[in-house]
Amino acid sequence: MTNLRDELLRFVNQLRGAGVRVSIAETLDAMHAISAAGLERAPMREALATTLIKDEDDRHSFDELFATFFAGARNPTDDGRRKPGSESSIAPGAGRIESESIRSVRKDKKPAPSAVCAKTEPREEAESKSAPESEESREGEPEREDATGAEDRADDTREESNESGQERDGAISSGQDARRRKIERTPFERYSDKEFDEARDALAPIARRFRVRVSRRLRMAKAGRLDFRRTIRASIQRGGALSDLRFRARRPRHIDLVILADISGSVRYSSTLMLELIAGAGDFFRRVRSFVFIDRLAEADFEQNHLIMTPALDMYARSDFGRVLSELWERRGALLNRATVLVIMGDGRNNRRPARADLLREIGRLCRAVIWLIPEERERWGTGDSAIFQYAREVSALVPSRDLRELEGALSKVA
Amino acid sequence: MTWGDALAMLVAVDITQEAVRAGLRGANYITNERVETAIFLALALEKPLLIEGPAGSGKTEVAKVLAEMLQTQLIRLQCYEGLDEARALYEWNYQKQLLRLQADEHQGMRWEDISEHLFSREYLLERPLLKAISAPRKVVLLIDEIDKADEEFEAFLLELLSDFQVTVPELGTLRAIEIPVVVLTSNRARELSEALRRRCLHLFIDFPGAEQERRIVQLKVPGLDERLATEAARFVGAVRRQGLKKPPSIAETLDWARALQRLGIKELNSDAIKSTLGVLLKHEDDRAKVESKAGALSGRSR
Repeated sequence: MTNLRDELLRFVNQLRGAGVRVSIAETLDAMHAISAAGLERAPMREALATTLIKDEDDRHSFDELFATFFAGARNPTDDGRRKPGSESSIAPGAGRIESESIRSVRKDKKPAPSAVCAKTEPREEAESKSAPESEESREGEPEREDATGAEDRADDTREESNESGQERDGAISSGQDARRRKIERTPFERYSDKEFDEARDALAPIARRFRVRVSRRLRMAKAGRLDFRRTIRASIQRGGALSDLRFRARRPRHIDLVILADISGSVRYSSTLMLELIAGAGDFFRRVRSFVFIDRLAEADFEQNHLIMTPALDMYARSDFGRVLSELWERRGALLNRATVLVIMGDGRNNRRPARADLLREIGRLCRAVIWLIPEERERWGTGDSAIFQYAREVSALVPSRDLRELEGALSKVA
Repeated sequence: MTWGDALAMLVAVDITQEAVRAGLRGANYITNERVETAIFLALALEKPLLIEGPAGSGKTEVAKVLAEMLQTQLIRLQCYEGLDEARALYEWNYQKQLLRLQADEHQGMRWEDISEHLFSREYLLERPLLKAISAPRKVVLLIDEIDKADEEFEAFLLELLSDFQVTVPELGTLRAIEIPVVVLTSNRARELSEALRRRCLHLFIDFPGAEQERRIVQLKVPGLDERLATEAARFVGAVRRQGLKKPPSIAETLDWARALQRLGIKELNSDAIKSTLGVLLKHEDDRAKVESKAGALSGRSR
């Protein structure tokens, strides 16, 4: 008879292998939990999920792994599938079922845009009693995922679920949430047009959150000079003790934002999303001027908060940061002053043209701050034709923004 | 520990899953296995329960039901931006301290004697967290919408949630007499820290399915025709899938069901829906969107 503790440890190990973060304390909790909830299948699954899964996004991996891992657990004597010798579950020889389950979970870890479809599956699988069956239903899935009309498919599933009751309803709306969160974490570098469209859809709630974040920051910066009169009045309540100090509200800050966004092929997605995100929060700044560039500067145009491509730019040109900086320098009188925060989005890949980092330094002297957002992976900074380290010396901050979440964080630093 | 030992242990624990299920039913709370197990574990393991899910899916209700089930007091801490220790844990009662100070001075007491009283429990204003810790019997502590509080406050909660103790500098460390049942809810306005998640059991509550919602409606709006209840529940389910700004909550479904009942509506046709939609949807855009599809949505539900 297999030891329950070892069995559970192996399960946790595999869960970690599937990308779920599980701490030691949580593993202990899980042991207490099943000793409290018992070993019946459904309560045990929920007990493990409650203690091990702290993020609804991971629930999918969990259900899948549980279905395969404990496929034989209903009948404890049927132990033939699990070889007693395979102590370490990550070792390749850890038995057929386990390694297969890991593979299938990993397969799912790749950014699957149609998470709605994917999310509705695990329920079925969790319910299916034997491993082979669940393997079959996995087989059917890739077709669905490849379907271009993912939304239509989702609709079908929804209608089905309308008939089949509660559990599936739940899976769908958490699936939508999960899809949004997944796209937030997908690096821009891996975007295709499809991901970009999804990210655009997800932008509205992110912009809302961003606004909340910025407005909170502005509100917290309230404490200015001491307000003598109100402090004295407050002290009367306290018998004359000056325990409550009252402050005058600080004068509202003025930030003029000037944005330069590289929209050449390599960083097009991230730049567009950034411009649209800031366009949604423009009222927090006194003035926002948005520019797009490839090898020259052009004012960005928006239509209903969506960037539209300007005809002024040659889309097939190659990035030239140096020339763009000199164009900005020529227009400094109109654009740059002490209240200006200059935000540049780009990878600094200058196609070996003059970098003109000296110009950036001069520009930085005129502005309050220059912030460079870089959508590239850190390992690739400064490689090849990248002049990013030359620029990095001249800016106030170089902020990585590889996915939507990082971008949002980076932008809230600007404000 | 073998499988058999675990089963034996299960019998030894006196909070049983059946008891929890019966208790929930007794408190008129309709739910599913997931929620039942999570509640049971929170009680059995004495760990805080973190509940996430869309607004209006009944997260806060869990705490209320728990209090009812355990026949105990519910202490609620509503989180908001800028919530601090003084509001959440304790504050010294300055006015009372000052009065005491002045009274003692008149009697010519020395500072040593005065200060001895001044920082005693008598002058401590208990806020929800301290109240929950120092309650003589088990209470339910609801920390509502923890995602609205600042990150610093979340960090401050960690000591309370893992050890059920708080430290007041002047008094020392106060340990819980009876470990309270702690329920935290979050709408995911921001990501909660890993540290907090690690200390809690996690439960995701989604909107109920059509069948579950029908049962809720029938339980809370007793006089409603069964067929109408079924149709209403299905319609609300369909409405929630339209990607609205604010999908209707369970409470709004109930309000709507009551409205239908009061208006004496027998059948859920598109006229009936249009005239009562304001109860269900609170945004003009949502309303327009659903109104244009009202026929199709209710047709699908038939």
